[in-house]
Order: sequence, then structure tokens, then C-alpha cells
Amino acid sequence: MSKIVAITGAGAMSEAMRQINPDVVPAFPITPSTQVVEDFSQFIADGQVDTEMITVESEHSAMSACIGAAAAGGRVMTATSSAGMALMWEMLYIAASMRQPIVLTLINRALSAPINIHADHSDSMGARDAGWIQLYSENNQEAYDNLIMAPRIAEHMDVRLPVMVCMDGFIISHCVQTMQTEDDDRVKAFVGEFTTTYPVLDTENPATWGALDLQDYYIEHKRSQHMAMQNAKRVIREVSDDFYKVFGRKYDLFESYRLDDAERVIIAINSIAGEIKEVVDDRRAKGDKVGLLKIRSFRPFPYEEIAQALEGVKIVTVLDRSESMGAYGPLFTEIRTALFDAADKPLVYNRMYGLGGRDLFMEDIDQLFEENKAYLKAGKAEKVFDYLNVRGG
Amino acid sequence: MNDKFSLKDWQELPLGGVVPEGGNSQYYETGTWRTIRPVWNEENCINCLTCWVFCPEDAIVLKDGMTKKGRPRKEVAEINYFHCKGCGLCARECPVNKKGKKTAIEMIAEVS
Repeated sequence: MSKIVAITGAGAMSEAMRQINPDVVPAFPITPSTQVVEDFSQFIADGQVDTEMITVESEHSAMSACIGAAAAGGRVMTATSSAGMALMWEMLYIAASMRQPIVLTLINRALSAPINIHADHSDSMGARDAGWIQLYSENNQEAYDNLIMAPRIAEHMDVRLPVMVCMDGFIISHCVQTMQTEDDDRVKAFVGEFTTTYPVLDTENPATWGALDLQDYYIEHKRSQHMAMQNAKRVIREVSDDFYKVFGRKYDLFESYRLDDAERVIIAINSIAGEIKEVVDDRRAKGDKVGLLKIRSFRPFPYEEIAQALEGVKIVTVLDRSESMGAYGPLFTEIRTALFDAADKPLVYNRMYGLGGRDLFMEDIDQLFEENKAYLKAGKAEKVFDYLNVRGG
Repeated sequence: MNDKFSLKDWQELPLGGVVPEGGNSQYYETGTWRTIRPVWNEENCINCLTCWVFCPEDAIVLKDGMTKKGRPRKEVAEINYFHCKGCGLCARECPVNKKGKKTAIEMIAEVS
């Protein structure tokens, strides 16, 4: 039976992992690894899962062990955050290129230096080209739901790519919220059994993984990987539709919040969307035509779908929580690209916020809607890029 | 070259660049790597099979033979130039060559 619980974001993630009961979880046992690993190791100690846990000496080794275990034929999950993701860098590419459907929970936190452990999207945005599907979560409920959907998306034979499920560090990972967990049996039935391809441990049918691939084949392998990522868009929607039928919570590639007839829209990722919704509701109550578009799938990025959802919108403010030094924010560049072919292009501009966990308050968001109202009136975004809530302007 | 090694389109590739079978290195021609070539002098060979033991490519081909006393044994048949990379280990380890009076395996320059 589904039940309402009060739980942290990390707790929600480990609860989903307990229900999925993966074959192998290799993970680095101390920081920057997360509470997800600690909670999950408790489930193992208590005999609530059958998972083999490998406590490795680094995150590079954690992802290496994930790849090995997945190639051997197991359903594999792991968890990391921040510098841990950075240390996985090389192996992230290998996991994706070897088409291993590994599922990773990522708690989005800043990268050093200076040392900072708070909410920031630099870790996952740095890995956005690694070939992983990236699903982002506004709150505990979405993180839990995304994680339950992740194995089915990853393991679909038209996709067969690893998935990272992201949520904001501390704001979501360490804060208790009420949410609904589902019955173990129903989750297990939804996730289904894992079918392996070319398992290394099948000695009757030997196969070589990770062979040399030079000028005559490398680009064909990348082309097929590109196709898998394109297919993922369809599969994410199919699995989300199925999830809605079974559990009643609706998800898409992104969330359109009061976008119908909206003129001024903020686009954002993760927990800040919760605050923006509040401000949108307040302004809507006063007849202001504002809305929110919240990204769920950043990879694959739904260019055409977003352009369609923004039809009729006159100005778009894109919020980025990670720097791409020397360039605009990563979300902004995607959104502008998505809108380039639109017949009636809205004004689009970029604001950098919340690096290293700096808060953005409701009044700041309210101010953003004032700003884009002024820009719209002027017919021009005066500053295409700027920082929010930074001392010195 | 075996037809199954003809270049394939991206849609035809096994998932993740896997090579979905074992033992197929025999179809791969490493002979093109050679800059020097071993030449086997049968009349000087004592069939000790030291070259066969050391060859990293299994390029020394053996056949069934007989000792002078009529006991069955393996003998060198030929060198497989499809696989021989010309490393020269066979000539270096050959005990006949080491004695220095005769040459059972001689390395000569490969001419293309």
C-alpha cells in the first residue's frame, strides 16, 4: 500500500533503491558520497536487500566497478555528488559508450575551489556530454519517482544508456518533506526484471568488451549512441505514461506550469522551481500572465517540444545554477538554440543564481518577473547575462 | 579477408562496440605489420620446436612427422605469413642459430 512519509531527499532515493533491489552497488563509502549510500548500506546490513555492495577506494573505482558489474550481467546502481562525480569523469563516458544501463543518484553540489558543499549544478552540467541520460527532480517525490522510472528507461533495448537522477544538495537531499512512497511489490512489478546483453560471465558465449575502435568504426559507434539518446526521448515519455497509469503521478520531458496564455516565463531546473511556482501563483491571482517551464530531462534535451510549449510567450528568463566560464549558462544556450527556429521568437535572457548554495528568495523571483516585464515593455533585454544576489552587482 | 569483417553501417553494430564472439583473432591479418621476415631453412632445422614455443602469434605451423627411430613427433611445416609480425623471436631463440655454424631461421628485410 502506498503511504505518506516524512523523509529526506536522500532517504527517498535510498528507499527507491531498496525497492528496486539492484544486484550490485559499488560506491565510495565516505564524503563526497552521499547519505544515499549510508542509508542503503543499512538496508544491506539489515538484510532488507540482496545487493552486493562494493566499497571502493575512489569514485573513479566506483564507476569502474559499476561498469564491470553491469558487463558481467547485473543490474547496477550507485550514488555520488560533487567532486565524486568529477572523479568519475573518465568512467562516465565509458559506461555510456559501452551502453551499460547503470543508474546513478546524483546530489547536485558545487565543485571546488574554494571548498563548498552546497547546492549547485556544476557537477552534472560538467558531465552533460558524457552520454548519460539526465533527469532532474524538484523535490523528494520527484527524485523517488524518477529513480523508480530510471531502470526501465536505461534498460529499454532502444536506449540501453546509463541514467543519472539529480536533485539539489541539502535543499532537497537533507531536508525532510512529506511524500508518497509506493508498495514494494508494485514498485518491483513496475521496474521488472533486468535482461543482460553479452554478459562477460557467460563463458559459453564469449564476447569482448571495450575493444580498440579506430578510424574505421569509432564514429559509427558514436552515431548509434546518438540514436539511442534520441530514442530515449520517446522512451522517457512511454515509461512516464506507464508510471502515471500505475501510480497516478504525471511526468513529461519537462513540466509546463501555467504556461497556457503565459506571456512571461521563467525556465529553471530542480528545487528552485518550487519557489517559482509560488510566485507564479501569486501573480496569476492578480491576473499577471506568467508561467514556469521546469526541465526534467536535460539529456536528451527536448528542443522541439520546448519551442512548441513556448509558442506565444513573449519573454523568457533562463535561470542557471552552474557556470560555464567564458560562455552563457548551459541551460540558457540550450533554450536559445531551441527557440532559434521559432516563427515568433520571444526575448530570451540569462541569469546566474545560487552558486555554492546561495539562496534565491521568493522576493528575488518576484523581482525577476518585474524585470522581464520592463524588458518586454522596452522590447529588448538590456542585459543578456547577469548574476543574481551577488554582492557588488 | 572473411566477408563478415567487411565494414558495417552504424545500424548493424552490436550494442556498445562489443565483439560478440570469441577466437576471431585468427581472421585478423597482422602480417602487414612486418618489416623483417623469418625464412625457415628446413635442411638446418632440428625440429626442437623452440620457435613454436616462443612465437607470440602461433605463426609456426606444425605437421605430424617421425623421428629417425620411427617414433611419432611434431615437425615444423611452414611459417604462417598472414599472422607473422616479424618480431624475430624465433630466429633469436633458435638453438641452431645460437651455435653459430648454421642458420635454421634467417631474418631478411621485407620488400614491398
